Amino acid sequence: MIFEVFRQETESDYHEHVGNVHAPDEEMARLFAQVMHARRKPANSLWVVPKEEISEVDADDPGVAMGGTTQKAYRWATNYSTGRMAEEIEASEAEQVEAEARRRSTRSEGGDD
Amino acid sequence: MATEDTDTGPWSDRGFALGGPDELSEREQAAVEACLRALADDEFVLAERYTEWQVRGPTLEGDLAVANIAQDELGHARLWYDLLEDFGHTEPELIWERPPEDFRHATLVERPFARGDWADAVVRGFLYDEFERLRLDALADTEYPRIADRVGKVQGEEHYHREHARNWLERLAEGRGDPDNGHRRVQEAIDRLFPHALTLFVPTAYEPDIVEFGVRPAPLSELRQAWLDEVVPVLEDFGFRLPVAADAHPEAVDTLLPTARGRDGEHTDAWADLHDEFTFTYRQLDRSEAPRLMVDPDDADEGGDHP
Repeated sequence: MIFEVFRQETESDYHEHVGNVHAPDEEMARLFAQVMHARRKPANSLWVVPKEEISEVDADDPGVAMGGTTQKAYRWATNYSTGRMAEEIEASEAEQVEAEARRRSTRSEGGDD
Repeated sequence: MATEDTDTGPWSDRGFALGGPDELSEREQAAVEACLRALADDEFVLAERYTEWQVRGPTLEGDLAVANIAQDELGHARLWYDLLEDFGHTEPELIWERPPEDFRHATLVERPFARGDWADAVVRGFLYDEFERLRLDALADTEYPRIADRVGKVQGEEHYHREHARNWLERLAEGRGDPDNGHRRVQEAIDRLFPHALTLFVPTAYEPDIVEFGVRPAPLSELRQAWLDEVVPVLEDFGFRLPVAADAHPEAVDTLLPTARGRDGEHTDAWADLHDEFTFTYRQLDRSEAPRLMVDPDDADEGGDHP
């Protein structure tokens, strides 16, 4: 049996795929995975997963839509950082900053209010 | 708290009956050395044998696992030989130039593997690692601070060895694929190796001092009983026949011992060949000292896993 191995370096990292091990069962796979994939690299945890238990979506398979086929660029946040809309937002932000600064200076001049 | 104020090492919070290497009486030093030689030689020679499986294991993974275990055992041997160097012995004296009859390992670790007989490696690992656990547990109570300092480090790597041996044993016993073959090979390995495993517990002339001075407070006879209580039922539960019952009288167990017992320097015929093999390059290159690739264990991990 083939088991895919995912290694997590520290507690705050994601488990990343690092390779696989051949083993007759899960117990032996866990044993081998330690030597094969954690002996020389820091590991906080290993996921050892039977390969056949992994469900795969292949982009080349018929009927698979990874992101679709029509133009949906409007969904990207970066689209809002240029053009007329972006200029308006920027101007509005600047106005708010200015207003805030004005309020603050009025207050400090006003003494112990 | 310790009353003596002689050292500030990591062991200073525990009192020890024995001092450092320079503070021992002649008899104490002889006992410490005898204890260390058995320890170091067992680990070193077993690692030499395990290494024969490198690139010959049953699978790539099994191969790497046993090579990894061999590397661990070599590392342990290094820790113990280093403590013998405290007494002025050099590495060539301790290993490369030492006559074969001066080695003090048990015969279990020197026996050759029949070609491709993986069950032999598994049974040997099982018998040895269960012994190793008991010996290390006993050494955790040592009165010699230099040993106490290193026991924990070795224990940390032994768990994997035991799990490895037991897992393989279980699978060979159950027989996946060809049940008769696996089971039969394990039984043959038990028949062949059990007497040699008993030599692990053969006391040397220094045994009374080793126990009295507390180098290893538990006597080997006690360790042997604990070992029999552990390994015999496990193997019997897997359906194997053992030459003795766990509660057999010590004298009955003694009758199983092979003629060569290792600890007194008398070894089996396989030992001369193995010794010749691992000293071959040293002699061929006409060496008189051993190059050191690694820093001394005392300097290796300052601030590491000391208590």
